[in-house]
Amino acid sequence: MKSALSLLPRSWSREKRSAVAIAIAVAGMLLFLWLCAIPLSWMPEPIGSAAELFARGARLTVELTVVSGLIGILIGFLMALAKLSRIWPLRWFAQFYIWVLRGTPLIVQLYFVCFALPDIIPLQLSDFNSAILALALNVGAYNAEAIRAGILAVHKGQTEAARSLGLSPFQTFAAVIFPQSFRVALPALVNNFVSLLKDSSLASVIGVVELMTIGSRLRAETYEPVPVLTTAAILYLALTTIMTQVSNAIERQLDVQNHQ
Amino acid sequence: MNSPANSPSGEAKPAALITAENVDKHFGSFHVIKNVSTTFYQGEVTVIIGASGSGKSTFLRMLNRLETHDAGRIVIDGIELNSDMKHIDAVRREVGMVFQSFNLFPHLTVLDNVSLAPRRVRKTPKIEAEAAARALLAKVGLSDHVNKYPHQISGGQQQRVAIARALAMQPKVMLFDEPTSALDPEMIKEVLDVMKDLARSGMTMIVVTHEMGFARDVADRVIFFEHGQILAEAPPEEFFGNTKNERIRAFLGQIAN
Repeated sequence: MKSALSLLPRSWSREKRSAVAIAIAVAGMLLFLWLCAIPLSWMPEPIGSAAELFARGARLTVELTVVSGLIGILIGFLMALAKLSRIWPLRWFAQFYIWVLRGTPLIVQLYFVCFALPDIIPLQLSDFNSAILALALNVGAYNAEAIRAGILAVHKGQTEAARSLGLSPFQTFAAVIFPQSFRVALPALVNNFVSLLKDSSLASVIGVVELMTIGSRLRAETYEPVPVLTTAAILYLALTTIMTQVSNAIERQLDVQNHQ
Repeated sequence: MNSPANSPSGEAKPAALITAENVDKHFGSFHVIKNVSTTFYQGEVTVIIGASGSGKSTFLRMLNRLETHDAGRIVIDGIELNSDMKHIDAVRREVGMVFQSFNLFPHLTVLDNVSLAPRRVRKTPKIEAEAAARALLAKVGLSDHVNKYPHQISGGQQQRVAIARALAMQPKVMLFDEPTSALDPEMIKEVLDVMKDLARSGMTMIVVTHEMGFARDVADRVIFFEHGQILAEAPPEEFFGNTKNERIRAFLGQIAN
């Protein structure tokens, strides 16, 4: 899929082109979520009468993805720092966390957060919040590795230059290392984000009424798997495509070195 | 030769800024610095030369503790360099460093590269720090490039930005670690010219380099490093004149070719 960026005037600066591309892609996402029920309602049965349901499901899917994705970036960042820490219990904890979350199926994690966790700690989460928590914890483990790799990719000379200017270790990290590592980590983070959008379909197993739940319910009610599942797939495809456009534009915005 | 207490010229003796006493360091089993003692004076330009692996860069990097020393004492402007982080930070604020590979911050503009440390470390207000950065960039001849990113300018220009960046902290001494070794030949002169101007302005400088012309023209003193030791130190006239030291003559012969 070509980037929408290539359609913008060459004469604009990189920043302007990517800022406009981000705005267009985000607006496109909102517009899609808001209006997708209209073309769906023109479709023949059984899709036409379920158009509003599909649209609601798509909105919930995006909500799940964006909320758990943002929490997941925060978790990934903290876990990456923990894994690079000089304090061994932190390092050990992060390693254990990443090992468990990447080594077990997401569906087990979803069931665990939804059904097992309330037995362990006295906290009753809604289905939606359980899904958010499980998805965020899961993508956080993958993000941690991406961010850690980004931090390690920044050349040692950068730290030396910053420290020799008198910047403290924290200032060096905040002003010099992190901004550079984030740019390195971004493609992997974006990849994780798009995967998360697809993985959020598993939240259907714990009763969150997102796009996949709508699809499987409708399939069971109508006995028409072909149109129903095709519609669900097309909606997912549209969402991942728009999301990739947003992330391409963000990547471009941060890419001051013109690697692309 | 080998008389570190002597002042570089016959004038009144300036104040000692950096003293190194019996400094020693191992990299694993490799004895990289062997019992080195010397003093650097206020306003003095010292050029350190020697073959690669002789320990000259390691010694320079010890002076702002990018490398630690195993034994001995290094005192900079009255502050002893040891594992005390407060001492290290205090010294680093007074000691500017220019690297062979520039090490500019690639995600920041030239102006931000130069104004970052004053703003973060000295808490200089943005407008003030940027005005000072512009003035420094004008001094190194880069007024036209303040809003560019490092990758958009040449290597020589990048190194001049790196010099301006170090000067922005108003250091008492500037360390140069082979500042022209990564540059194409046609860019070496522009960097050396900036360094010469700096030397003339009275800046205390310690320069590890292979540029013998620079050493001859600008240095007050030349130190020759070999196998982790100071083999000789002398004013350049004496050093490049009729030295009787075989090793120095061999080294200078190799450089000339």
